[in-house]
Amino acid sequence: MSESSRTLHLSSGPHIASGRSTAQIMWMVNLSLLPALLWAWAVFGWVVLAITASSILGCVAAEFLACKISKTTSTIPDGSAVCSGLLLAYTLPPGMPIWMPFVGGMLAMFFTKGMFGGLGYNIFNVALVGRAMMMATFPVEMTTRWVAPHLGLAKADTISAATALAQIKLGGEAALAKILAVVPDSGQVWLDFFLGMRAGSIGEVSVLMILLGAAFLLWKGIIKLYIPISVLAGVALLAPFSLSPTLYMLSGGIWLGAFFMATDYVTSPITPKGQIVFGLGIGLLTGIIRNWGGYPEGICYAIMLMNILTPALNEWFRPKRLTADGAPS
Amino acid sequence: MSLLSWRKSTLPTFSRGGIHPDERKELTENLPIEDFIPTVVSLPVSQSLGAAAEPLVAKAAKVKRGDVIATVPGGGVSVHAPVSGIIKNVQTGPHASLVYDTVITIQAKPSDDEPEFPEQADWQALPVAQMLERIRDAGVVGLGGATFPTYRKLTLPKNAKVDTLVINGSECEPYLTCDYRLMLEESDKVVLGSWLIAKIIGVGSCVIGVEDNKQPAAEKMRETIAELGLEKMDPPVKMTVMVTETRYPQGSEKQLVQALTGRLVPKGGLPLSVGVVVQNVATAYACLEAIRNAKPVLERVLTVSGLGIKTPKNLRVPIGTSIEDIVAHCGGYSEDTVKILTGGPMMGRTIADLGVSVTKGTSGLLFLTEAETNLDAYQPCISCGECVDACPMGLEPNRVSQYMEAGRPLETEQFGVKECFECGCCSYSCPSKRPLVQFMQVAKAAYRRHERKSK
Repeated sequence: MSESSRTLHLSSGPHIASGRSTAQIMWMVNLSLLPALLWAWAVFGWVVLAITASSILGCVAAEFLACKISKTTSTIPDGSAVCSGLLLAYTLPPGMPIWMPFVGGMLAMFFTKGMFGGLGYNIFNVALVGRAMMMATFPVEMTTRWVAPHLGLAKADTISAATALAQIKLGGEAALAKILAVVPDSGQVWLDFFLGMRAGSIGEVSVLMILLGAAFLLWKGIIKLYIPISVLAGVALLAPFSLSPTLYMLSGGIWLGAFFMATDYVTSPITPKGQIVFGLGIGLLTGIIRNWGGYPEGICYAIMLMNILTPALNEWFRPKRLTADGAPS
Repeated sequence: MSLLSWRKSTLPTFSRGGIHPDERKELTENLPIEDFIPTVVSLPVSQSLGAAAEPLVAKAAKVKRGDVIATVPGGGVSVHAPVSGIIKNVQTGPHASLVYDTVITIQAKPSDDEPEFPEQADWQALPVAQMLERIRDAGVVGLGGATFPTYRKLTLPKNAKVDTLVINGSECEPYLTCDYRLMLEESDKVVLGSWLIAKIIGVGSCVIGVEDNKQPAAEKMRETIAELGLEKMDPPVKMTVMVTETRYPQGSEKQLVQALTGRLVPKGGLPLSVGVVVQNVATAYACLEAIRNAKPVLERVLTVSGLGIKTPKNLRVPIGTSIEDIVAHCGGYSEDTVKILTGGPMMGRTIADLGVSVTKGTSGLLFLTEAETNLDAYQPCISCGECVDACPMGLEPNRVSQYMEAGRPLETEQFGVKECFECGCCSYSCPSKRPLVQFMQVAKAAYRRHERKSK
């Protein structure tokens, strides 16, 4: 029979699989990050695209290197290195020298992911390690190279003042009053913050664009709301201790962090309960750092600290078994 | 879970996990059951769970349809000649799940006095003990695929308190439509068979579970129940059809019992411990034939499907029909077929040899092309938690797989390995295509080896 010459596969079941793949998930996350990048491009100019490209290149180069060294098939096509590169760029000031993100991305990717065994094995969120490393290595560039937003691709402004959170950290009430005095109608300030007409890191400034991307991920079932909502709730719990709770909730990187960094599968817990505790921990730590710590923003370190706790949270909050222990009948 | 899937069905279902793969039932659901009788049948003597039967016949012997050709010494489920003819061979041959087994090959040759298995007198009034004997002698086993001897399942322990019979018409495996067709075409036999089982176990209440995607079958069964007037028979049985959500693994005993009765079978327990006995619709049908006609299980209905087979069919074939003959009868399979399975795509087994034949537990024969199945290499776990969400038992396949990769199989019991019934929801859901069920199987095998050694 001619059929006998064909190759038949033998395997354990099941023999069908959902259409979802890891690469598909990663590229959908990358896609969902684009609205925020488009916004940054529109208000900060072409330079953000160069910074983002530099960061992605650094991450992909490190991934390439790590795969070569460990002699494994390249995992670049799965999109996770590109994802880390995008996210790292989103945490950087738009006025930063273009070569720096390349170095930061490369180091972060290589040490946080490559050295720990590649996809699935990193303990920390790669992008956030990159940001932390860059804060330590390039402290001046990371905290002063802000750009004033201008809609319509006007030539990027010279370096503007610090971010709102940084101004308030240093100047207190007076600084807050100054921010609110820029426009006569204070409602306009909040709208500017929500839309993204503010100084800040590339991907964090527009809450609206972040929510747009997040809505896509929720619709596709890639992220769930447990983590983002509990992060925001944790931050909100400590908002009353800040000078301006509204500004506190709308500024900084909490929205980017809550929806795109804290939800990273690899570094966050699996069960809803674990995820809620994880999220609340991030939110509270962020608030503590912001209100009483030395930094104006705390989301990056808060997420990293909770990343450490993820294995423990997975141990403490296990899924509930369908049937409880009992004497077999 | 996506925002849209928060719209939950209001139909009854099990409480945790589960998946809804492409049903692919449209390939065969409207095809009536067709008879196919090959010229040669090859019967592996292992047709049910438990000890294997031993052949009673030798080469060149003449057998008549229905003759016992193998028995289990000390009592068990016998194997019958599904066709009349001459024993061609008794030798080692391929088996769908055991790989090799003793196989009795019969060259079909109709005799002048073919048995007709007429209706027996007073079959309805038979004492329960005799009914059980007929079921045993007819070689009835769980035809849903489990192949557990039915007479043993229906012989209740003395202290058992049972109040409900559940008849499983879920057919939750994609592709398969044989139970659906049986419910549509032979609803009277399925209903009467269910009534007999209810009588045997002494319950007055019977629930037939049918998934939402088989509404015509549910309707047909309801009509038949009304026509037969079971509530006026002796003993009266209140029989209802319950339509459940279409959700795999609805047909698993524990899940079905929970969906239909709300009772949770305890860990390591049987439905019996919550007062329920579960039987498949095809088994109910076989019980009726065994008791009413004293007819053994000689044939079964199976679904031949998949995008690889030329003409998909629902076939009634003698037990022992070879896959090769079925392939030829269905017009052959295409070049791009990459897997041939017995059973459904979730829990079925791949076969390597077309010489394998249909056993009592073969509910389907699938020819899957590359487009339908998954041949991708697997990737590391990214801790997405999809497998944990999908597991109907609340286990942690992700952790088991990580421990297995680390070479620590004997530390996996804490993640529920021993409660896993290998439904496959985890592997199906995994975006990294990890063979989670296989990790579970290997872990269980490691425990079995370990327990043997420490004895």
